[in-house]
Amino acid sequence: MRGTSLLLACVLLAITFPASPQSATKSPLDLEGRPADPFRLAGSKLVVFLFLRTDCPISNRYAPTIQDLSNRYSEHASFFLVYPIASEIPEQIRKHLQDYGYHLPALRDPDLVLARESHVSITPEAAVFSPDKKLLYHGRIDDWYVDFGRARREPTTHELTAALDNAIAHKPVSTTDAPAVGCFIPGLT
Amino acid sequence: MNHAKYSLAAGVFLGIFALASVPHAAQQKQASALSDKSSAQRVTFNRDIAPVVYRYCAPCHRPGEAAPFSLLTYQDTRKFADQIAFITEKRIMPPWLPSSGEPKLSGELRLTGEQIALFREWVKQGAPQGYPADLPPAPHFTPGWQLGPPDAILHAQKPYALPAQGTDNYWNFIFRTNFPETRWIRAIEIRPGEKRVVHHANMFVDRLHSSRDQEQHPGDGFPGMELRIESESFDPDSHFFFWKPGSIPHEEPEGMAFRLDPGDDLVLNVHLQPSGKPETVQPTIGLYFTDHPATKFPFLLELQNDRALDIPPNDADFEVNDDFTLPTEVQLLAIYPHAHYIGRELSATVTYPDGTLKNLIHIPHWDLNWQAVYYYEDPLVLPAGTRISMHYIYDNSTANIANPFHPPQRIKGGNRTTDEMAHLWLQVLPHGDALPPDQARLLLQEAMARHDVTRDPADFSAQYNLAAVLQAKGDSPEALQHFQAAVQLRPNDAIANNAFGAVLLALGNPAEATAPLLRAVQSKPDYAAAHYNLGNAYASQGNFSPAIAEFAEAARLNPQDSMSEANLGAAFAEAGNLDEAQKHLERALQLDPQNTLASNNLDEVKRRRASPQ
Repeated sequence: MRGTSLLLACVLLAITFPASPQSATKSPLDLEGRPADPFRLAGSKLVVFLFLRTDCPISNRYAPTIQDLSNRYSEHASFFLVYPIASEIPEQIRKHLQDYGYHLPALRDPDLVLARESHVSITPEAAVFSPDKKLLYHGRIDDWYVDFGRARREPTTHELTAALDNAIAHKPVSTTDAPAVGCFIPGLT
Repeated sequence: MNHAKYSLAAGVFLGIFALASVPHAAQQKQASALSDKSSAQRVTFNRDIAPVVYRYCAPCHRPGEAAPFSLLTYQDTRKFADQIAFITEKRIMPPWLPSSGEPKLSGELRLTGEQIALFREWVKQGAPQGYPADLPPAPHFTPGWQLGPPDAILHAQKPYALPAQGTDNYWNFIFRTNFPETRWIRAIEIRPGEKRVVHHANMFVDRLHSSRDQEQHPGDGFPGMELRIESESFDPDSHFFFWKPGSIPHEEPEGMAFRLDPGDDLVLNVHLQPSGKPETVQPTIGLYFTDHPATKFPFLLELQNDRALDIPPNDADFEVNDDFTLPTEVQLLAIYPHAHYIGRELSATVTYPDGTLKNLIHIPHWDLNWQAVYYYEDPLVLPAGTRISMHYIYDNSTANIANPFHPPQRIKGGNRTTDEMAHLWLQVLPHGDALPPDQARLLLQEAMARHDVTRDPADFSAQYNLAAVLQAKGDSPEALQHFQAAVQLRPNDAIANNAFGAVLLALGNPAEATAPLLRAVQSKPDYAAAHYNLGNAYASQGNFSPAIAEFAEAARLNPQDSMSEANLGAAFAEAGNLDEAQKHLERALQLDPQNTLASNNLDEVKRRRASPQ
C-alpha cells in the first residue's frame, strides 16, 4: 500500500511541474499571457518568425511587406510576429497590430527564447523553421535597407522568399552572410 | 503539457546556438575587463552621456517630434545604448551632412570624436547610470509654437493620405492667404503634421497663383518633387522657408521681413516617406508679423547645371560644375545645396579676387533625405569679382544604394524623383558702399540672368529673367529680344506673352502687341494684367469697344485695381458713353483717391457733360 501511494505522488508531481510559474524553462507568450507553442499551431507547415518592435521605424516600414508575404505563403508557412522587447505590453502590441494592418498571430518573447533559438539580433529579422523545428534560415527579409537610415528605392534581393521557396521545394536553404539592418534587440548577450 | 514539449525542443536549439559565433558576448567580456582596470575612466549616463543626449538627440527624440522614440531619461537611453553607440560611430546620427570646418554653420549637429567614443565606452561598461548629483537639468523645450502664438495660422485645406508602403512621396499644399493689406513677415513656423513621415518641407511664395492649375480641385494639393513658381518680376525679397526634423523656425534679422501681399499663395512642398501604416498629413503654418517693412532685401543666387547632367549607367564619378562671378560685393547669409538620389559629394567654394580659395560647404556623403538650408553663424563678405563655384559628383553605379534604378540606367537632369538635379542656392545681401542697394540688386540680377542665358540659350526661364531685368533697368530694346526668345521657346506661356506684349506697348507698337496679349489671355483667361494690357493695345489703336471689354474683365478679376477702372472709364469716354465713363472713373477714385489720371479724366468727362458739343 505504501509503495503504491508513493508512486502516485510521483506521478502527480510530474504532471504539475510544467505548469508551475517558477518553471525553469521559459516560453514565448501569447497576448493573453499564456505560454504559446507556434509549432503546434503551425502543424505541418513551415514556421516563420518575424521579429519586431513597436517603436522601430525600419521594422514598421516592413509591415505591408510582411503581411503580403504571409498571405502569399499561407498554404505552406505559418507566420508569427515576435515582439522580443519585454517592456512592450500586450495592449501596445494589439494597438501596433491594428495600426499597421497586421492579421497575424503575435507572440511576446520577453525572455528572448525565440530570439536565441532563431539566432536573430535585429528588428526586423526573419527566421524560418521546418515543422520539426530545424532552423532553416535566419536573417534579413531582403536588401531594402543597407544601413540605418539608408534604404534603396526598392529591394534588389529577396532572401526570405528565396529561403521559403527552397524550403517548400525541399531544396537546401542557403543562409545569407548579409546581416539584417534595423534596431538592436537588447539583452541578447 | 504543451509547455513541457516545447521546452524540450528548446534544449535542442541551444546546442546550435552554442556553435554560432556571438560577437556581443565576446565584446561584453572584453569590456568588463577594461572597466575593472580603469574605474577612474568610468563613463556614466548622468555625468557624461546625458549632456550629449540632451543637446544632440532629445530635440527630435521626444514625444510629438519626428524621431521614432524618446531619449529623455536614463531608462529611455539605456534601452537603445547599443544602437546609439553603433549609429553615432557611423555618423548616421545625429543627421548632419556637412563636414566640419570653416566657415561655421549655425545649429551644427555634429558630434566630436570624443563624444562618439564616450557612447562606445559607456556601452562597454554596461551603460551605468551614475550618481544622481551628476545629472544635468532636463532640457527645456518650448511646447507648441516655438516663437509663441503666431499672428495668423493657416491650415492646409485637405489632408494628404500617405499610403502605408511605396517609395518616397512628394506632395504640395497651397495655402491661400487673404489678408486685407500687405503684411510683413518676420518668421514662418511650418508644422508639417505627422512629423514622423515628413523628411523635409520647403515653402515658396506664389504671387501669381501659378501652382493652382496643378490642383485637380481647389485645395486638393498636387504631387511633384520640384516646383516651378512663376513670377512676373524679380521678387525684391528672397527668403528660404525650410523645415527639417528638429529645426527651430528661422527668424529674419531686423529689417529683413518678407512681404506678403493680399491674395498671395504660399506653396509647401513636402517630402514624405511611407511608415508602414496609412498616415494623413495636413500641415499648418504660423505667420509672425512685424510692423517694420523690409529695409534690406536679400537675393537668391542660383548656380545650377542640370543641362550637364547626362550620367551614363555605372559611372560612379560624374562631375558637374557651375561658376558665377559676383558683379558687386555681397554678404553671404545662407546656402542650400540640392541634388536628387545619386548625388554623392557636393561642395561649393569661392575664389576671392586675389586668388585665395575658400570652402563654403562640403558634403562628403550626400543623402537627399537629410538635405537642409544652412545659415552661416557669421555672414561672409564676398567682394565684387569673387567667383562662386559649385562642384558636384554623382554616383550612378549599384554601389550607390540610393540609385533609383537597378540595374543602373542613364540619368538626365529633370524634376522627377528619378531625374537628377545640380543646384546651389545662396542667399546674399548686397553689401558695401560702392553702390546703392537697389542698383547692386539690379547688377546681381542682370549678371545672374546673363550667366543663365549664356549657359543655355534654350532655357526659357533664363531668357525671361534676363528680359525682365533689362526691362526693369529701362533697356526695352534688349528686353524685347529676350522676351521674344522666351515666347519662341514657349509660345503659349501666358506670362511671357503678356510681358512681351507689354514691352511692345511701351515701345509704342500696340499693333504688334495685340497678338501676344491675345495669346496670354487665351492661355490664362483669369489673367487680369494681360486683359488690362490688351485693353490698352486696343485703345491705343482706337478700338474702344474691345478695349472696354478687356478693361471690364480686368476690373472684374481684380476689383481692387484703380487703374483698370480708370482705363475702363476713359475707354467709355472715348466711345462716347459719358454716363458709364463717370461711373467707372468715380469708382477708380474711390479705390485710389491719388489716381491723378482718373481725376483728370473725371474732370474732363464732367466738363463735357456740362457743355455737350
